[in-house]
Amino acid sequence: MWKLQISLFGILFVVIFVEATVIPHLWSPLRVDLFIGMIIGLIIHTPYSQGFPFVILASLFLQAFSGARLGYLPLLYVFTYLCIDLLKNIVYLENVFTQLTIGFLFFLVTTTAVVASVQGSIIDTNLGALLFGAVLTGSMSPIMATLVRHLKSTYES
Amino acid sequence: MRNHKGARNLFLLVAAALIILLLSFGQNSSSSLGLNIIREGFFFFERIVRSPVGFVHGLWLDYIYLVDARQENQDLKKLVDEMRVKCMILEELREENWQLKAMMDYRSEHQEFVLYPAKLLAQDITMVFKSVIIDRGSRHGFYLDMPIVNPDGVVGRVIAVSPRTAEVLLVTDPNSAIPAHIEDSRIKGIVKGRGINTLSLEYVRRAEEVHIGSAVVTSGLLGMFPKGLILGYVQEVTTDENKMFAQILISPSANMEKIEIVFGLGPHVEAAD
Repeated sequence: MWKLQISLFGILFVVIFVEATVIPHLWSPLRVDLFIGMIIGLIIHTPYSQGFPFVILASLFLQAFSGARLGYLPLLYVFTYLCIDLLKNIVYLENVFTQLTIGFLFFLVTTTAVVASVQGSIIDTNLGALLFGAVLTGSMSPIMATLVRHLKSTYES
Repeated sequence: MRNHKGARNLFLLVAAALIILLLSFGQNSSSSLGLNIIREGFFFFERIVRSPVGFVHGLWLDYIYLVDARQENQDLKKLVDEMRVKCMILEELREENWQLKAMMDYRSEHQEFVLYPAKLLAQDITMVFKSVIIDRGSRHGFYLDMPIVNPDGVVGRVIAVSPRTAEVLLVTDPNSAIPAHIEDSRIKGIVKGRGINTLSLEYVRRAEEVHIGSAVVTSGLLGMFPKGLILGYVQEVTTDENKMFAQILISPSANMEKIEIVFGLGPHVEAAD
């Protein structure tokens, strides 16, 4: 269990580096959320007792790299975790296209929700970057989910 | 017989000379018909004579002489690649030099403050909030609420500080609010971030006359930012009869998408004492 958690945090640091340094360097308004893919992977491949605490802790780590008020990002990711966990009973989450769609939709939904609660209008956001970010997040979600599955299977065997 | 033939040739030559002379007669320029015909004839002659010589010359130059051209071409291509890389490096150095020069100028203009330089380390992971992390922290003189500027204007303020890093809330962040006034008319208001590369000047009555392009500077109220630091320029003014305040959009003077090096604006040592 601990090995898995430590490895997950290792991946999280890479995710933060990519999200906070690499992606903005390529195109300043662009943001990609690789953590949504990790959440999908955690829901599918790890029990609630391992996945949920990791999401809370990891979102606190992510909070350090945002100007959002304290608790905003944990709230957002816990909401995402619970929603996808509920969806698990409705849709076949192991499917790559389902993961892709969920990644795409949740990026759009969470960003729109934050925009609505903070500045009021989605029009004030760079829509091109928002859509491109959603597409990239969707595309990366199955990869991140597969990464979690590989970690889990490695430590189980 | 031979004499007869020689006389005929001589006659033909004299006749030709006479024809040319006749054709040129009465014209004092060198563009007479006869001379032109001669020139044209020479042109064709020259072409006919020259073409086989040119062919041999071309064969020599384009094929036999170019045995080493392939190797030379490769060497030159390599050289061009090297030069391109060098140009790229020089371009980067030029840009860096320009930035440093601008900062030196800024430093000399603001000698009443101590300027702490810092480089950008990371940017906000969310699309909505606008903050950056810099590579200097409390060990280097950065503190909470410290104003962060660059030669173009105000960038933001420090909202979190650790020994080696500091988090800066950019002026474009929706949570950012800075007391300011319009430089020429002294109209006061609060500059707020709008998430994108635009600011808004809030709480300015719609009756006030605000000019497009006027500079908006910090007013120094609340003591967080020193007075007179440039925030941006008035971009758009909209008034609505049903609303008490005008909606004023400001274009930030510092381009938040291109910031690389920033300054923490600290009080001078004497002033601090």
